[in-house]
Amino acid sequence: MSADQFVQYLMSGLTQGSIYALIGLGFTIIYAVTRIINFAQGEFVMLGGMLSYVLAVKEGLSMPLAIIIAVLAAAAVGTVMYLLAIRTARRASVISLIIITIGAAIFIRGIAGNRFGVNTVSPPDFTGSGSISFLGAYIEPQALWIIGITFVVTILLYLFLSHTMVGKALRACAINPGAASLVGINTKAMSLIAFAIAAAIGGIGGVVIAPLAMASYNMGVMLGLKGFVAASIGGFMSPITTVIGGVVLGVVESLAVGLDWGPFTSAYKDVIALVVLLLILLIRSGKLAAAERAG
Amino acid sequence: MLAWIKKKWNYFAIAALLIFLILIPFDWFLSRYTSLMIIIGISTMVTAGLCLLMGYTGQVSLGQAAFYGLGAYFSAVLSKTYSLNPWLAMLIAALATGAFAYAVGYPIFKLRGNYLAMATLGIGLIMWILFNQLSQYTGGPDGMSGIPYLSIGGFTFDTNFKRYYLVWCFCLAILFLSQNIVRSRTGRALRAIHGNEAAAESIGINVNQFKLKIFVLSSVYASLAGSLFAHHLRHVSPQPFDFLASIKLVVMAVIGGLASIWGAIFGAGTTRFLSDEVLLGFNKYPQLDIIIYGLILMLVMIFMPEGLFIAIKSFTFWLKVNWRELPSIMKRKRKELPNQMKHIFRQLLLMRLWRKTEP
Amino acid sequence: MSQPILETKNLSKAFGGLIAVDKVDLKIDTGRITAIIGPNGAGKTTLFNLIAGVYQQTSGEILFNGKSLKHFPWYARAIKPGSNKKIFKDKLQRHVSAHMRASLGIARTFQHIHLFGNMTVLENIMTGQHTRSKYGFFGAALRLPKARQEEELINLNAMKYLNMVGLGKYANQNALSLPLGQQKLLAIARALATEPKLILLDEPGAGLNALEKRELSDLIKRIREMGITAVLVEHDMPLVMGVAEWIIVLDSGKKIAEGTAAQVQKDRKVIAAYLGEEVDSAEG
Repeated sequence: MSADQFVQYLMSGLTQGSIYALIGLGFTIIYAVTRIINFAQGEFVMLGGMLSYVLAVKEGLSMPLAIIIAVLAAAAVGTVMYLLAIRTARRASVISLIIITIGAAIFIRGIAGNRFGVNTVSPPDFTGSGSISFLGAYIEPQALWIIGITFVVTILLYLFLSHTMVGKALRACAINPGAASLVGINTKAMSLIAFAIAAAIGGIGGVVIAPLAMASYNMGVMLGLKGFVAASIGGFMSPITTVIGGVVLGVVESLAVGLDWGPFTSAYKDVIALVVLLLILLIRSGKLAAAERAG
Repeated sequence: MLAWIKKKWNYFAIAALLIFLILIPFDWFLSRYTSLMIIIGISTMVTAGLCLLMGYTGQVSLGQAAFYGLGAYFSAVLSKTYSLNPWLAMLIAALATGAFAYAVGYPIFKLRGNYLAMATLGIGLIMWILFNQLSQYTGGPDGMSGIPYLSIGGFTFDTNFKRYYLVWCFCLAILFLSQNIVRSRTGRALRAIHGNEAAAESIGINVNQFKLKIFVLSSVYASLAGSLFAHHLRHVSPQPFDFLASIKLVVMAVIGGLASIWGAIFGAGTTRFLSDEVLLGFNKYPQLDIIIYGLILMLVMIFMPEGLFIAIKSFTFWLKVNWRELPSIMKRKRKELPNQMKHIFRQLLLMRLWRKTEP
Repeated sequence: MSQPILETKNLSKAFGGLIAVDKVDLKIDTGRITAIIGPNGAGKTTLFNLIAGVYQQTSGEILFNGKSLKHFPWYARAIKPGSNKKIFKDKLQRHVSAHMRASLGIARTFQHIHLFGNMTVLENIMTGQHTRSKYGFFGAALRLPKARQEEELINLNAMKYLNMVGLGKYANQNALSLPLGQQKLLAIARALATEPKLILLDEPGAGLNALEKRELSDLIKRIREMGITAVLVEHDMPLVMGVAEWIIVLDSGKKIAEGTAAQVQKDRKVIAAYLGEEVDSAEG
């Protein structure tokens, strides 16, 4: 592989990785604050992408307006999902909650497929099309948008969590929900906020990737899984590590396909993410088991 | 007479079920559903394994269709491409699937929390991709045909009628075996794990190993079911083993009751009936099936986490009650109430004292 | 006196910066009822968790009947002793996990009882017999005669332990339907069903009334008569003084005193730990 090709694959890996990072952030936030793995995270991404298309193209709204409404809608769905499905389950067991989020995920997917059809759609790029040459590789302007927005969202999230009262309250819940409630933090409200933020970030992810990678009603499954892998690499606790995890996954995936190494044709691209997931779990099982015994 | 029936209710229910099942393929009864019932029987086998896994170890498998598919493909490839005896192929498939489940589960069950859900989701997707991609072995997206029938001696299972009984013999045998397991020392260990993992560990139960064993068992059930499926349709393709299939299996388990064995029939039956008969007519309303599955999963787990079947079964309690005894039952409950209140108060008081002494 | 049934050497456990157990050396003699007392936060339950295998110690050793509670996993056992792979092999030693300790003969109860709420009273105790029986999946699934025999035996043994704690008539009730005091007895019966040599009772007297505490004392003495060494962590002083033959006092993770009830009651350090330093000067 020549240096130019390498940079090309690196850039595309960085782009994909940014998406995985954004989705992973959603998983991380919800898991950290509520200890729930939200299987519907991928669907928030799907909603962002599909709604931005429907609003901008079908309904003819201006692009910025469509984007804002799409993200808000995703956040709203996340909030409603929390209120109706999670909060009502009260003291449900872990397995019940998992099944509930799975049910919510396929319910949302079904409604989307019903309303928006099964076709793959693509909203227009944010800024014009036409590749830009960068470091010897060609990159779409949309990809720059993706990377840029991911960067901005991560910074904003970090600032929010470390410098605002609400952010600190969220972190308190993440560290010790019992203690948090004892000092007067409304953990239920914090869970709600966590879901809303995660859904909004997911929506942003969807909005920003749809012009580049297209959107369809069932894009949530794979994307959700890969976002989960990103969050796993990051350990589910910190936004920074999640983003690193996402980028690592994206780059590894891209390079493995690009290197044309072994059986890794593009159809196997998805397999790579899953194999990475299993490897991560393997490694973590060793470390976690040791940590458990150490108390 | 009536009292005797009420006491032996379980036996009567099972006997009635058996008679019903035996009579179905006959033309004067319900023979038009024979093919559906074969699929239901096969699905019940997978569901039973899933119920054991989810109900007793509290772990979700979102990729059970992968093991189902592995069984089908192993059987297909071994018996057609390599002309192995189909029964031998089935056995090898079950062993291979079990070994695979063991290898994958070993590191995962060392983790606390629910990494199994995502891991099995991943496995399910990987398997589906592999079924599609490894076309020289699997025939790719179109699959492979020409799989031989199962036969014993000269008797070939070549009609739906014959295969119906074969499948249901397997299915009932599996349910019966599972019931025995649940009632045994192993079953107690599983229920202990479900009840309180820390306590189970403290009395010598190797929690992780048990979870792994049940995972492997559920994969073997699924593999056997897949093999039967392959020899029934004589054609395998990746399509029935996709993510939606895994979700449908979870729906079946949820409806049947997570820790219930016989409920698996109910769960598989209603879900299959829904998806293969009822929803077929609703083509005008796309994706209705997954909307309904999603709703079922959410509603059942929120309101009836024990499963629909168990909730319905608890209504039969009222059938068993001797109505004449009702007033004395109520009186007894009213007498017990103050005692229970006393105990509750004492516990609350203890908790408050506890808080005061802890720093 | 034969070797102590349990010994800890320089046992320490740190959770990050917090040292819960600090270089504790103790010996528990076989057959002697021992109590571990100390103010709250002294590390008593952590010590129990270390002995039971729930936590892995940060440093130090635990010896059960003279043998260290570490073992080699299956992949390391093949390395022959005496070879220079031994240095590497030592690193592979694994701490013996909680469930293995139960089969070795260490049983425990929990402060918060932790019964199996999805089973009956009798089934809870039958589960305790898990390590003393063998039949597995195949025996269970096919109901082989060996399996059925073992099941009969388990049933008998469980009833025996159930009657020992006086809960015989509740055998088929759901475990959580019992009042607190009886739930505690059930938990002890369940631990006894593992046929242990050493039983660790974590605050068995908490929440019991005076009558129940007397029954508990009698039960502990009967346990001693069965040849089982009982160790209890307890806050109730009269209960401790009445039943314990040897008392170990912990404070802030360190062992500060040990001896008979009379000796410990007079020990200045013990009094200081419970009541504060001022009493020392007041006593003069």
